[in-house]
Formats: sequence, C-alpha cells, structure tokens
Amino acid sequence: MLDVANLLIYGAAVSAISFFAILLQMPAAIKSLAAKGRAVPDAHKRDRPMIPRPAGPVIMAGIAAAEIALYLLTMNTAVLAVLLSTVIAFAVGYVDDSKVMPGWFKPVALLAAAVPIVVLDLFVGGVHGDSLNLVFGSAFIPLLYIPLIFVIIPVAGNTINSIDVLNGVASGFIIIATIPLLASIAIFGSHEVFLAALPLLFAALAFYRYHRFPSRIFPGDSGTLLLGAMYGALAIAGSSEIIGVIALLPAVMNSFLFLASVKRIVEHRQVKARPTILTDDFKLAASTDRAAPATLVRLIVADGPLGEKEVGYKIIKLAGFTALLAFASIAIQYLVMGLG
Amino acid sequence: MGLAGLALFMAGMWAMILAVAAFLLIVVAPLEAILSVGRLAVSAVQGAIAITALLALVLGLSRMKRIYMHRKLG
Repeated sequence: MLDVANLLIYGAAVSAISFFAILLQMPAAIKSLAAKGRAVPDAHKRDRPMIPRPAGPVIMAGIAAAEIALYLLTMNTAVLAVLLSTVIAFAVGYVDDSKVMPGWFKPVALLAAAVPIVVLDLFVGGVHGDSLNLVFGSAFIPLLYIPLIFVIIPVAGNTINSIDVLNGVASGFIIIATIPLLASIAIFGSHEVFLAALPLLFAALAFYRYHRFPSRIFPGDSGTLLLGAMYGALAIAGSSEIIGVIALLPAVMNSFLFLASVKRIVEHRQVKARPTILTDDFKLAASTDRAAPATLVRLIVADGPLGEKEVGYKIIKLAGFTALLAFASIAIQYLVMGLG
Repeated sequence: MGLAGLALFMAGMWAMILAVAAFLLIVVAPLEAILSVGRLAVSAVQGAIAITALLALVLGLSRMKRIYMHRKLG
C-alpha cells in the first residue's frame, strides 16, 4: 500500500512520461511514416488524403516507458502483467498492420496477451483475485476466472479495434471509458493498478491531439489493440470487470451488432455490402442494402446523412452517457459494500 | 429520436448486464458452499450456469436489436 505522497508523486510521474513521450514523438513519427509511404487513404474525405499509419509504436513506447518506471518504483507484479499483456497485443496488431491477415488472426492471437496475467499470477501472485466483481458483490470462482481472462483480453482488444472507424473516435472513446475505470480501480482495486491505469488515459489524451478530426495519423491495429487489451488487463487487475464492460457499452454494442449481422468472425474489409454510403457532399448515410451489416455508425446516420465530424461527436456523446452508467454502477457497488 | 433512442438501447443493455450480474451472485456464487463435491465439479456446474445466463443475455440483446433495427432501418 502506497502513502498519499508517493501516490501523488508516482501518479504525476507516470502520467507525464506517457503524455509527453507520445505528444513529442508523434510529429516525427508522422513525418517518418509519410516519407516511407506508409499511409492509407482517409475514405470519408474529399480527395481521399493519404494519412500516415500506424501510430501504435509511438503509443507503445510512451506507455512502456511509464509502466517500466512504475514497475521499478513499486516492483508490483500486476504492473508487469499489464505491461506484458499490452506489449503482446501491440505485437499482434503490428503484424496485422504490416501484413493483411485473415479475420480469425486478431481474436486468436490476442489469447497470447492474456498469458502474462495468468502465468504471473500463478507463479508470483498478486495480479488478480479469484473473485469476479459483480457490482452487487463478488463471486469466488478461482478456476472459472482463468478462462474468463482469456475471453476478456481478446474481446476488449477487438472491441476498441472495431470502433476505430472515424477520425478521433477510438482515442476519444478510450479517454472517456478510462475515467470511470480509474474511479472503480481506485475504490475497489489497488493503488498500484490505479497508477498503472494512468498512462493509458494520458497516452490516449496525447494521441487524441493528432487523431482527432481531421486526423494527422491513424492508430492502426497495433494502436487500437494495445489500447483495448491494456484496458481489459487493467479491468482484470483492478477488480473492475463489469464496470469496465459498462463503460465500453457503445463499442460492445457496435461489435455485437456487427457479429449478429454477419454471423462469423470476419474483417470489416471482407464484408462486401457496406453499412454506410458516402453521399455526393461527403456525408455518411445509412445503406439501404438489406445485406449490409448493422453497425453503430449505420444506426446513428439512420435518421439522415451526417458529416464524419458530427457522427464522431455523437459516438463520443454516447460514450459519455455510458460512462455515467458506469459511475452509477460504481455508486451502487459502493452502497452495497457499505450496507454489507 | 436520434441519439435518445440509442441511449435508451444502452440503458436497456446496462439493466440486462446488472440483472445477469445479480443472478450470477445469487445463484452461481453460493454453489461453492452448497455442493459438497470437488472444486472441479463445482466449477463445471458454475461455468454451465454462467454460460447459460450469458446466452440468455445475448438472446435478449438480439431480440432488442431486432426490434430497434426494424424501427430504425425498416
């Protein structure tokens, strides 16, 4: 247990490392990627400008620097497990950024990102509890908790990956979803995991400066998978699994709608019927094709065509709403704990 | 309707998640103390009930999605 002074000093240090490392390295990364021709067209803009990608390596470097510093200061196993899971998810995404992989690759390869959490807890201990935090109380499920970890990490990684459809959405979404997660970890988790969660928030804040509309760089699969898997690892290590899911609801809904429509695990690019179409004035409109998959964006533009910036703003507003639901769940759990 | 409809859909999802969480706490968690068989058998029973509850949640969400999609996209 850390005292308040150390908590403040360590918290300020890891937040600053993650934030400034990404903020200062990103312009050079944008130039370097553009010079190497590593860019993709921004499909929703007039003239389809080429945008450098991926920002994953810079985000990873910022988060890794902060987490290594925190691990050296605290020698806490949970911090190491979160870092290793994030690095593996980044590596999986980087392979997908470099080479077109089949649809099954990301969910299956992300199983490896769950391994550090399970193995470090098994051999060292202190990474996660044997109980699942169910808001109204905890269920002691020592054996069942392990397969659950192998579900949470790939789902969290792919959920953030699937919401990365418009400029600034994935980074803005992570910023908002991480705030109730931080509150939940602070109340129901440990100080060390709370400190380990700060670099995620500050990395997303720094990255958002370059990713917001109009994007100057895209995160790529390496960026979105590392953000999502780190979010999942923090929810596990911070005893905040259900709160974490609630804060992610718009992204969960997007994945659910897509999977329920196509009925198999498949890359978005492999789906022939597009969920939205681009109008002549570069607005997004809902596709009338019955074979088109249902997505969050398609539902948002079902009432009428909207510009990319407006759709992104609406998704962020929905994320704000579910963050409030997550805070309501934290309040319920706090009250239940008080009564218990 | 716009965003209000989607917010309502998400509030519905939230309520369903909390309902499943409460069910798991009331039904699955006490099995550890009630069943006097090995831990592996208890975990298998808990797992089966939890998966059934999750499938019920997915079915409920699917139904909610169908109604919502029908109203929105026709």
